[in-house]
Amino acid sequence: MHFRRIARVSLLLAAPLAAGAAPATEVELERRFAQTVRPFVTTYCVSCHGGKSAAAQFDLQSYEKMADVVRDHPHWALLADRLRAGDMPPKPMKQPDAAVKQQVIDWVGEVRSHEARKHAGDPGIVLARRLSNAEYNYTIRDLTGVDIRPAREFPVDPANPEGFDNSGESLSMSPSLLNKYLQAAREVANQMVLKPDGIAFAPHPMLVETDREKYTIQRIVNFYEQQPTDYADYFLAAWRYKHRAALGKPAATLASVAAESKVSPKYLPMIWQAIAVSKEEVGPLAKLQSMWLVLPAPQRGQDDLAKDGCVAMRDYAVRVRELIAKHYYSPIMRGLSSTSQPLMNWKLNQFANRRREYDRGALLLEGEGLPTVPESPKSGAFFIPGNFDIVGRQAQAKLIKARLADQEPLRVPAGQREKYAAAFARFANVFPDAFYIRERGRFFPDLTQDKGRLLSAGFHNVMGYFRDDLPLRQLILNEKQTKELETLWAEFDFIADHTIRTYTQYFFNQSGEILGNGRESGSERPADMAITDSRVIFGLRDQYLAKAASNPQNDPLVKEAIEAHFSFVNAAIRAVEKARAEAEPKHLAALTDFAQRAYRRPLTVAEKADLLAYYKEIREKSGLTHEEAMRDSLVGVLMSPDFCYRIDLLDTRSSNAPAQRLPAFALANRLSYFLWSSAPDETLLKKAAAGQLQQPAVLMAEVRRMLKDDRAQRFATEFAGHWFDFRRFEEHNAVDRTRFPQFNNDLRQAMFDEPVRFISNLIQTDGSALDLLYGKYTFVNPPLAKHYGMPEVTGKPDHWVRVDDAKNYGRGGLLAMSVFLTQNAPGLRTSPVKRGYWVAKRVLGEAIPPPPPAVPELPQDEAKADLPLREMLAKHRENPSCAACHARFDSLGLVFEGYGPVGEKRDKDLAGRPVEVQATFPDGSQGAGLDGVQTYIRAKREKDFQDNLCRKLLAYALGRSLILSDEITIDRMRARMVASGNRFAPLIETVVTSPQFLTKRGGEPHGRTRPTEE
Amino acid sequence: MAAQDQQKNNRIPRRAVLRGAGVTMALPWLESLQVRGATTKAPTAFPKRFGVMFMGCGVNENQWSSTGDGAEMKLSKTLSVLEPLKHKVNVIDGLYLKMATGQGIHPAQTGSLLSGAVIHRGPIIHAGTTIDQVMANKVGQDTAQQSLVLACEQPMTGYHETNFSMAYSSHISWQSADSPVPNEVYPSLAWDSLFENRGSLRNLSILDRVKDRAGALSTKISATDKSKLDEYMTSVREVERRIEKTRETKTAADDAAKGKSKPAWAMDRPSNGLPEDLREHARLMCDIIAIAFQTDKTRVATLLLARDLSALYYPFLNVKEGHHAASHDNLSDGYERITRFHLGQLAYLAGKLDAMPEGEGTVLDNTCLMWLNNLWSGRKHDNTRLPLVLVGGMGGALKTGRSLNYMKAGNENRKLCSLYLSLLDRMDIKLDRFGDATERLTDL
Repeated sequence: MHFRRIARVSLLLAAPLAAGAAPATEVELERRFAQTVRPFVTTYCVSCHGGKSAAAQFDLQSYEKMADVVRDHPHWALLADRLRAGDMPPKPMKQPDAAVKQQVIDWVGEVRSHEARKHAGDPGIVLARRLSNAEYNYTIRDLTGVDIRPAREFPVDPANPEGFDNSGESLSMSPSLLNKYLQAAREVANQMVLKPDGIAFAPHPMLVETDREKYTIQRIVNFYEQQPTDYADYFLAAWRYKHRAALGKPAATLASVAAESKVSPKYLPMIWQAIAVSKEEVGPLAKLQSMWLVLPAPQRGQDDLAKDGCVAMRDYAVRVRELIAKHYYSPIMRGLSSTSQPLMNWKLNQFANRRREYDRGALLLEGEGLPTVPESPKSGAFFIPGNFDIVGRQAQAKLIKARLADQEPLRVPAGQREKYAAAFARFANVFPDAFYIRERGRFFPDLTQDKGRLLSAGFHNVMGYFRDDLPLRQLILNEKQTKELETLWAEFDFIADHTIRTYTQYFFNQSGEILGNGRESGSERPADMAITDSRVIFGLRDQYLAKAASNPQNDPLVKEAIEAHFSFVNAAIRAVEKARAEAEPKHLAALTDFAQRAYRRPLTVAEKADLLAYYKEIREKSGLTHEEAMRDSLVGVLMSPDFCYRIDLLDTRSSNAPAQRLPAFALANRLSYFLWSSAPDETLLKKAAAGQLQQPAVLMAEVRRMLKDDRAQRFATEFAGHWFDFRRFEEHNAVDRTRFPQFNNDLRQAMFDEPVRFISNLIQTDGSALDLLYGKYTFVNPPLAKHYGMPEVTGKPDHWVRVDDAKNYGRGGLLAMSVFLTQNAPGLRTSPVKRGYWVAKRVLGEAIPPPPPAVPELPQDEAKADLPLREMLAKHRENPSCAACHARFDSLGLVFEGYGPVGEKRDKDLAGRPVEVQATFPDGSQGAGLDGVQTYIRAKREKDFQDNLCRKLLAYALGRSLILSDEITIDRMRARMVASGNRFAPLIETVVTSPQFLTKRGGEPHGRTRPTEE
Repeated sequence: MAAQDQQKNNRIPRRAVLRGAGVTMALPWLESLQVRGATTKAPTAFPKRFGVMFMGCGVNENQWSSTGDGAEMKLSKTLSVLEPLKHKVNVIDGLYLKMATGQGIHPAQTGSLLSGAVIHRGPIIHAGTTIDQVMANKVGQDTAQQSLVLACEQPMTGYHETNFSMAYSSHISWQSADSPVPNEVYPSLAWDSLFENRGSLRNLSILDRVKDRAGALSTKISATDKSKLDEYMTSVREVERRIEKTRETKTAADDAAKGKSKPAWAMDRPSNGLPEDLREHARLMCDIIAIAFQTDKTRVATLLLARDLSALYYPFLNVKEGHHAASHDNLSDGYERITRFHLGQLAYLAGKLDAMPEGEGTVLDNTCLMWLNNLWSGRKHDNTRLPLVLVGGMGGALKTGRSLNYMKAGNENRKLCSLYLSLLDRMDIKLDRFGDATERLTDL
């Protein structure tokens, strides 16, 4: 049994009315069923289509009343279609009288019109349903700001008869899926970060200390790395300012140049002053000024002509800065290692606070002897307690050696020491020896070893972090940026708890040093456990102080270092404690806010109270910590059907009531899941809360705003992905990669992205939907351009460009996109059958039944076949029972024979035979290649495509299969589409303002309009 | 429907039995709860358990040897603590882990010990899933906790001079390449984790809440929508029922012991805080593992007794130096005493499990405890052979009472990961490869 959908239903609907006849009444139609239709099928049809073994399982005996026909109207629409086409009854059988046949055909159409009118505006049944997997992922991404994709472990969602996975008809729940929901919710909750002012989400779990450190450290390091700290960029910016007139910007200011050159507007004036304004006679600044003066002037407006010169200036400044760096040492305390935390932190503080000073001892005064390089102590001595700072001395020896090897910049004429010293001080003040320290090993400042310890204090074995970024704050950052950085550091301690943990590790693993127990031993566990208590901290301090005081030979700075260290530790720990206590109420507020966004509607007072009561209960009665209780509460929110189900709540309870207007928040949800596959954003919720969303003008404005948003790309992915059946192509594995080595993961991804890019662009530019069929352009990235033989596109795979003359490369529009050509090829050959079937069914909306059970196999490998596929198919069509279907789509695939199994252009098939691309289309016309099929569609099938687009769009928007009463809306969509030049936005607006979209009902569905496909 | 209501009434409301931390509660602890559902089904086989105990920095190699099998087995001074149980012991000498050698000392010798992974230097931590977690992922689904990961010493997260993170020295269990399993150092919290308010049972409280929410919602929606929501509710109830089955375990443990007319063993909740005395700390951790194994709260446990680069110290053993410092003189009597103390914890836990009847044997007979060290000799940082002892018969899957020596078997045939493959086999987890091994250990 071969169905074919009735083309252009609108004509059927309109025909009886246009003829001026009054619409038939129900009684009348019932009578005609009994008198004409039923006898007709009994005579001509039931001999095959009757009883238990009815042909094509279409038992025409079973329809006893008109209501039976209404319920199964799609089959009857096809029956009428086959009668009209003259396919049925088959030729050898008795043929009916033409007039009677026409009466039956008319009757089917009139029943359809009758039913559509009778239920006009019926919203149909839109079942409550869980979020689809895609919606779940998108919603979590929008809720958390992180692309966690917790649904990746869920089984694939089944599609409904319209081909979409977003309806209650197909989305079901099971215990094993619920278990996965539980794991998914837990996964999301595990990535929650508690911050001083609320909650956030990390891109990874945040349960273990190493995770928390990774998250917080990475944020600070990223911030540092984004700052403009390269001197060369500042010199170049200064040069652009100097030559602003020649560069065509006579009105430029230092601030405007800084903005254009992406350097700090705070620091650039200092650099400008130092190299272009101030008068320097000697020292490094004088040298930089002389280099500055010989920078070339711009030619032909080239604004980076001086780049090499600026790099040379930078290199000079950096080199001198390294040579005059000042080193600091841990103060010496007998019986205590110089790497003891109080002493080492003191040393690090000297470095951090004096980065704009320099070592006067670096200057080499003429007439005075050169310094001698001290013997570099062996690192073995490192382990002798009470020794001086060996690491520091080693670094100093290395530095003196470097100064002797590179004396020129440091030489000072006899008798001019003070003049030079002042000049070096001015230089050092503008050019710090570092803006910030990103990583630090235990041989600091020697960076030749121990790299990669981000923000580390460089302690041996125990953890510890140290902040060193004063010059960055003083010279580069503005107030807002400084505040941001302060927040990042405060959150570092709040989230990763590093001060407490450093102190704890130190207490248990190093503080024993004060008792003479050796460097890797701890203090005894205090009975009360509270080692972070101020009393314990200061008690330990006093032990250190006592030991420091016990030997008069100890450096007096030791006392200062010890006091500063323990005060710092205590203050930092107390600050975190305080911030924690203050943060809890904010976390709870963030929890209810999260629930509100997750439920996509305002929470009632009772719901809020209930959520907080649950938190309190598990915290107090179950003894969970604040963090655990927050995580569990979050899991509870994500497991609640308010989140993971889409239920359009009506204002009043109404089962089987007539259509009711959707309340504002339900409408906001429908809209956002239609256009974004995700939750409404704040703007949309605000409009809903203000009661404005149901005003047509506001609704339209929102639709247009949402279509411009990046999230509309999800509409392209989900709607078009299902419509054109490429949604799962990212996992497509049917290509033999040894035969087609060009098909790698990058190319596969690019193939998938091409239609998404194309359609997103159509939507965002509100282009013509017919571009899908006839567009001469497409979008490519580097791998796809290569695959298509287009001019090289450089850059990463995420660099996409529009190609306007794609036609010249055999591309343009959807039909020749390699994703479809590849997906519809079985691997080692093409498949004109599958490709043609895809065009007929997916693009043009023709209903074609699946093949009968016993079809002859085509060879798997084209290279090993005796005949070209085209000829094998021609043979196949010689069999009339095959021809009935194949005649409708083989030709639509044969025209693509010029594209191989992965959509590549080709002249020969895999066996080396020249390919032919001409075909005879179902209407008898002929054409060749992409052009040929486009011409045929334009002439004969464009309306099929438009009709199909309207139907698919409506079904997707409503989240259900279509019903007879939708025909009126589909008519309206088609009319708007034609009137607006096939643009997308008016089409979407028609959907959004349709009664189906704006209202809801309960009750049983009427018939569907189309048979279930597959 | 009526049956369901009745069940509901018989059940003590779950939230009522959630206990707060700080409450002292003795086992047996479930007697007052009538366990509903299919409780009559007798277990066909007792669960197999696996435990790891770790001590870092090596042993006194002069005092570590075992020869002969069965009654002929001769144990050296350190190993003598296992004398009473030696028929249930396998002393395995000569295994090693190639990727733990040649990378530098300490953290690099430890981070891959239970995974056989290649670990990374620098700021980004990267190791591999460890054998205990591979087992836990498989056999831990039906227990209150997938695994217990305990430690008697706080972790360190700084950097060693080799630029490997100290996290590798501090954690022996890794749940993924990126993250260790957090160590529990507090006995009280470890104890809590086994009972009502923790672990997978936390989900029950959440599901309870979900039912409340769904119930509230269902009063507001149409009959058709309700049918979809019912599908959800049914799934929630089913999952809840599955989780609740884990509550039957105490009864099962009591039943298993019944033949010996001995109830499951009882234990008080340890008090809050860290025990001041290491001996008490270690003992409590062993007790918790024992009761968790007996009542089938978990089937996999690891206990880090002393981490690599440990800073524990032992006034009660009359050793002045800290653990790591002492290990540099590992041939000393003092370090032998330290080693014997930690191996003594294995003897203690094994003895405890052996005193717990289960079926015709004991819990120990259905368990395998593995004690190992990351080094052979601390003064040489030598890890080309590792001290390792197995105790327990794994439900008859493992022959015991043997001295096994692989020193002369050749490097290909003495891989630590081969032992892991063999142990995984005996836990009914068949893998083609673990770490660097594709072959099982011969003659185990």
